[in-house]
Amino acid sequence: MNAAFEGDVKSAAEAFLLEEARLLDAGRFEEWLALFAEDGFYWVPAAPGQTDPLNHLSIFYEDKSVLAMRIRRLSHPRAYSALPAPRTAHLVGSISVSGSAEPGIDCECRSTVMVAEYRPSAAGGERRLWAGQQTHKLRRTGQGLRIVLKRVDLIDCDAAHGILAVPL
Amino acid sequence: MPDTIAREDLGRLVHPDRVHRRLYTDPAIFALEMTRIFGHCWLFLAHESQIPSPGDFVRTRMGREDVIVTRGRDGRIHGLVNRCAHRGAQLCAAERGHVQAFTCPYHAWTFALDGALASVPHRQSLPPGFDLKDPRLALATLPRIESYRGFVFGSLAAEGESLAEFLGPMTEAIGNFVDRAPLGEIEQAGGIARQEFRGNWKLHHENANDTLHPGFVHESSVAAARADKRDYATPAFDEHQTHTQMLSNGFGVREWQSLALTGFAGGHSYMGGFYKGGVLAPDRDDPVWRDYRAALAARHGEEKTARILAEDRFNNLLYPNVSLNAQYQQIRIVQPLAVDRTRVIAFCFRLKGAPEALFHRAVRFLTNLSSPASMILSDDIEIFERVQSGLANGVPEWLDQSRGLATDRVDNSGRRESTGISELPHRAQYGAWLRYMTGGA
Repeated sequence: MNAAFEGDVKSAAEAFLLEEARLLDAGRFEEWLALFAEDGFYWVPAAPGQTDPLNHLSIFYEDKSVLAMRIRRLSHPRAYSALPAPRTAHLVGSISVSGSAEPGIDCECRSTVMVAEYRPSAAGGERRLWAGQQTHKLRRTGQGLRIVLKRVDLIDCDAAHGILAVPL
Repeated sequence: MPDTIAREDLGRLVHPDRVHRRLYTDPAIFALEMTRIFGHCWLFLAHESQIPSPGDFVRTRMGREDVIVTRGRDGRIHGLVNRCAHRGAQLCAAERGHVQAFTCPYHAWTFALDGALASVPHRQSLPPGFDLKDPRLALATLPRIESYRGFVFGSLAAEGESLAEFLGPMTEAIGNFVDRAPLGEIEQAGGIARQEFRGNWKLHHENANDTLHPGFVHESSVAAARADKRDYATPAFDEHQTHTQMLSNGFGVREWQSLALTGFAGGHSYMGGFYKGGVLAPDRDDPVWRDYRAALAARHGEEKTARILAEDRFNNLLYPNVSLNAQYQQIRIVQPLAVDRTRVIAFCFRLKGAPEALFHRAVRFLTNLSSPASMILSDDIEIFERVQSGLANGVPEWLDQSRGLATDRVDNSGRRESTGISELPHRAQYGAWLRYMTGGA
């Protein structure tokens, strides 16, 4: 990549990450889903440094079709674990963007994410802080950048958690 | 303090058709449960495959006790309470691992794998009578440990019924679990799922074999799956298992009615299987399953293989806190933390000799049903928390559990059967609860 091109990709990728987080915070899940490539995956491992989603359980490991069911469920009037809807505030920082030699992937972004979540609930409401490193593997398409893999490595991925009803 | 609740008062809280709200909200009753149920019953500790070699250990909880399960030098399994005999520090912080001995971080008292005190520093400062062999200086150990086909159980009580007596007919569920492995052995693998909820521990098992709630509680995931008109012939990363699992709770009342529910005097119960689609159907026929079936038949022969695989059950509930699912190689352990706080641990098994792809299905099942992000269990847990919140109200005092009471069939052994949507499992569980809480010494 030449320097100018690299700069374009880098700023586009950074803007993409921030926009992706904004869609999640706004609960605009359909639009968030549309950011995924048709062969895209969303992965939140359940073990630090997990390398394998097939031989080890995950918190989330979903292709676009399963994510679509998740998002459809969230809009159901009796999706009890998300009623009332959790509210989140994402902070995405320490973004680094690099090229990728993987086929079908144009760049790879690493960033740190902190998600403050408020889950109104019967037990009186719960404030939580999710935090970790994110990896986005992105593809340039005619419609803009698309997610081939979004991976969130939570610092407490192997701890006991309460209900996690929304994607992070 | 806890013993201030008279046995006759406890007896008044439980009736066949209703139970009192205090059972879910009263810390004094919780304390008694930890002594009389969790301090007495055989509790699942670990699977032998988690500690195959001398020095291996894995931690678990038995009611209030934090327990290290170890494999000793001689291959025997021990249960050690995770508390240094010296000043009381937690001895072991890791969930599992391998050690030569346990050395306390505080003053380096060192304990052998069977809990015996092996060494202390600065012997010259200790009084002349200080004896490393004094049992009061050893770790507290479980008085009884027994294995049933690789499933290790322990009891905090020195005396009582044997493990086989305790499990009763539920040994069949464990047997069927292991019999499904072409090499005759199963192995824990794929990680540990952990969840916590703000509700009483009993809510989990009362829900697990309740066949009326899915149509209501899981309506949103059923609807989301129904709206997805996918073709199972199209390849998918999870072989459409997530879709199948979400869809399966969409049984109609008549179909739920047709499932068998069976309960026992010991509080255990099981329900018939209700996953009828895709790679989870009992009569599934796909390349992975055909390979697996052939491997199983090579060990057991065709007739026995057919019998093993025909066992179509979903949850096998061992009282008070284990749920076994042999068909999909899952186990869940319910750990009470406080009267209104519970942890659920879940993991899956590899059937030795089965195709790797079959293990991937078990892992997928675990992710789909036991992750905090589960689209199915999260709705159950939300309901547990709503029940706990609702029960904080002083009135009404009672919870109804009369569904099916008139139609359950009960024999002399206390075995209960129902073909319908019955609260039979609740009654079986509370029968055992009452006996543990009011019987005995």
